[in-house]
Amino acid sequence: MFASAARHVAIMLILLAAALVMPASAQDVVRAPSGVIADQQEVIASLTAKIDGLERKLDQGKEDDASLVDVRLQLEQLSRELLHSGVAFRPRLTEINARLEQLGKPPAEGQPPEAAVVTSERQSLSDEKAEINAVLGVAENQSIRINKLIDKITEMRRDLFQNLLTKRYNINFALVFEVIDTFEAEMGDFYRTVGSWLRFVVSFKLNSMLAATFFALAAAAVIIIGGRRLFGRLFEPDARVQDPSYLSRLSVAFWSTLMQTTAVIVFLGVTYFLYDYFGVLRGDIGAMLSSLFYVIAVVFFVSRLGTAVLSPRLPNWRLIPVESRAARWLMLLIIATAFFTGLDYFLSSVYRVLGSPITLTVGEALVLTVIIGVLVILIGMVHPFIGEDGRPKPWPRLLRYLLYFLGGTTIVAALLGYIGLARFVSQQIVITGTILSTMYLGFLSSQAINEDDAFAKTTVGRRIQRYFKIDDITLDQLGLASSIFINLMVLVIGVPLILFQWGFKPGDMTTWLYKIAAGFQIGSITFSPVGILSGILVFAIGYFLTRWFQGWLDGSVMARGKVDAGVRNSIRTAVGYAGLALAGLIAISAAGLDLSNLALVAGALSLGIGFGLQNVVSNFVSGLILLAERPFKVGDWIVAGAVSGTVKKISVRATEIETFQRQSVILPNSELINSAVGNWTHRNKLGRIDIKVGVAYGSDVKRAHELMLDIARSHPMVLKNPEPFVLFVNFGPAALEFEVRFFLADVLASNNVQNDIRFAILETFAREHIDIPSTPRAQEPKPADKWPVDDEQVEAQVAEEEEARDKRAAEAASRRKPGRSKKADPE
Amino acid sequence: MKRFLVAAGALLLASSGAAHAASAVNLDSEPRTLIVTEGGSKSELALAAGETVEFCPNGCFVTMPNGDREALTGSETVEISGGVARIK
Repeated sequence: MFASAARHVAIMLILLAAALVMPASAQDVVRAPSGVIADQQEVIASLTAKIDGLERKLDQGKEDDASLVDVRLQLEQLSRELLHSGVAFRPRLTEINARLEQLGKPPAEGQPPEAAVVTSERQSLSDEKAEINAVLGVAENQSIRINKLIDKITEMRRDLFQNLLTKRYNINFALVFEVIDTFEAEMGDFYRTVGSWLRFVVSFKLNSMLAATFFALAAAAVIIIGGRRLFGRLFEPDARVQDPSYLSRLSVAFWSTLMQTTAVIVFLGVTYFLYDYFGVLRGDIGAMLSSLFYVIAVVFFVSRLGTAVLSPRLPNWRLIPVESRAARWLMLLIIATAFFTGLDYFLSSVYRVLGSPITLTVGEALVLTVIIGVLVILIGMVHPFIGEDGRPKPWPRLLRYLLYFLGGTTIVAALLGYIGLARFVSQQIVITGTILSTMYLGFLSSQAINEDDAFAKTTVGRRIQRYFKIDDITLDQLGLASSIFINLMVLVIGVPLILFQWGFKPGDMTTWLYKIAAGFQIGSITFSPVGILSGILVFAIGYFLTRWFQGWLDGSVMARGKVDAGVRNSIRTAVGYAGLALAGLIAISAAGLDLSNLALVAGALSLGIGFGLQNVVSNFVSGLILLAERPFKVGDWIVAGAVSGTVKKISVRATEIETFQRQSVILPNSELINSAVGNWTHRNKLGRIDIKVGVAYGSDVKRAHELMLDIARSHPMVLKNPEPFVLFVNFGPAALEFEVRFFLADVLASNNVQNDIRFAILETFAREHIDIPSTPRAQEPKPADKWPVDDEQVEAQVAEEEEARDKRAAEAASRRKPGRSKKADPE
Repeated sequence: MKRFLVAAGALLLASSGAAHAASAVNLDSEPRTLIVTEGGSKSELALAAGETVEFCPNGCFVTMPNGDREALTGSETVEISGGVARIK
């Protein structure tokens, strides 16, 4: 709504501007075009004029990289505007086409002629359409032109970068004196410029400058103090802690670097902004000050990061296990490298502002880049680790050679006169190196969080646990999720930063982002990461909505409505699956996949499904039938084949049954549909229990019958109707067989009743002297110990045992009667 | 856990919008050709009878079989029947 209104306003403004700037446009048509055509002609004419301007700018060839990117962004914007102006014709075109269709084709020869009005209207409509087509053609050509220009810009930027790296300056001894002379002159210049600015500030702007500095300091203080309050101990290494965990070392390194650097950056940024706002800055001073601030921020960040990682004072808190002396050296070298790189950057911007001769830039950069190269080589030569033999060990070979190579390249390039290349390499060493090591720290911390229980031990983890009251397992999963998130963030932030350093401009990256978002095409299907992500998201949302709806329906509506448990379960399950299917379909279409394509695939797969997934599909369909037909519900006691137990859960593929031994049996639904299923509790829980009783021949059978009937009748749980009944079943071989048959309201509670009745029968019969015969069983004699004949080892063992016993007996005998001769014990 | 997911989901939803390409359907029984100008080049897009094609994700100019020109922003559906194109 607002966008369209804004667009209209913009179009009006452009029209107005175009009308003022170009009284006689090139598209001067014979007949004054009406309405939308005239409007859009003007718009396109003004866009064309802008493109012309940009092209002229390009043709002059005096652009630097940043302004080329800017031109390209403008061109892309123009291209979008062209398209919009083309789209503006659509309503009119649709109208014309509809009207032309109504009018029909002109009559063929031999047919009666049509009215003159119709002919003239058709003619005028066709003319208008032709005009629109012509205007659209112009727009189309302009859009082609824009794209050609964008290609050209890409090429120009490539050339520019190549030029920067390959341009060679002549370096000789004469340069030295020249540089010294110009350096003195320029420093004098610089001093005068800064001095005059300072005088101006002190005499006119002192108050606003002090106020600005105060506010900037206050902002920085807020960050430092706020950060300290928020993160507390995480902020600084505690010298008392003997053996801090890796995660706490990392978090201290991360937070201390982040908070302090942020504070410095905020201070510098606010200072610059307020100086600018109060008019303290002049153009040249502003440029110099901004580069100075930039350099200060970078050097500060590098030194903070170095301190955090190497921790020269507190060996316990060191992230990389280097030796203390080496840590101090490394710190010094790293800060020096950053400092000299920053100095080079700052001086070059000062020279640019002062318009110094190129020899000065070359000479100064030569000295500084050589220094930086030497520093980098020195870093490579440090022996930071302690080897197994106790002697200092150098860096890993690959890293060492990489450092030598980078330092050497810088020095050689500078000495050969390739100052641009040397400068580029030295800046990349500092900036890219810093970003890469920060990213590496990020990856390390995500790894550390990913370990078991690591997240729960962090302060953030503890706070989340306390606030949201979640259990340990969820917290652990949260740790995993946050480690993935950290990895992603490191990539999302770090990679663009590095690309940014390597000469890609934000414009490039936004273009890539557009391309990635728009997706790529495979065959006739477009895959777009954004589309797929949004598909996943839509599915997740659909899933949660379904679960929520399910819970609401089940818990609030149906529970309140006293709906039968089985129906409730069926409806809940059906709603759940329907919701999931719906969410899936919406997600697929949100992902940009055409459902008709899917139908094609499904058609092709159906044959395969018919064979391969026959069982699964049949179970699935059976599950749906079970839900609809409801032959049993959750909680029923069913008997299906050999399985008897309580139904726990009816899913779409299988049904879970818990036997009375508490074994869970997962029974495929098709078996429940295709074979007989007994349900003890289908319509009601009424059930008959039969108890067999034997009465001895010769007992008073009538009396026994009466007693049993009484017992059954008198039990409170036994139903009066249908009445209990005692059946005289059989004249058995050992007893007269009776069956006490009675009905229970709840067959699930039969065990207790059966017990009661059996005990009662036994007691009553004993009292009334009625025997319950038991079949006598033959008493098997206990088998005697046999001589194990079939096992030699056992045989030997037994023989040995016997021998030992004999010996013991003999010894005992000899002790008892020392005088007597040996005699076998009678035992 | 759920609360986190819901919050994360809401955030993501707010920050993302699905991108779609324009699509063209040929309802005729004979092949039709569209001329598509996209990204600095003109190309012919042939549509067999009954075929649906996705094209032009970032906006383009199209010349229809009957010579009509149209500008597309990349979310439209073009239906061709009887050699005449309609945009929906």
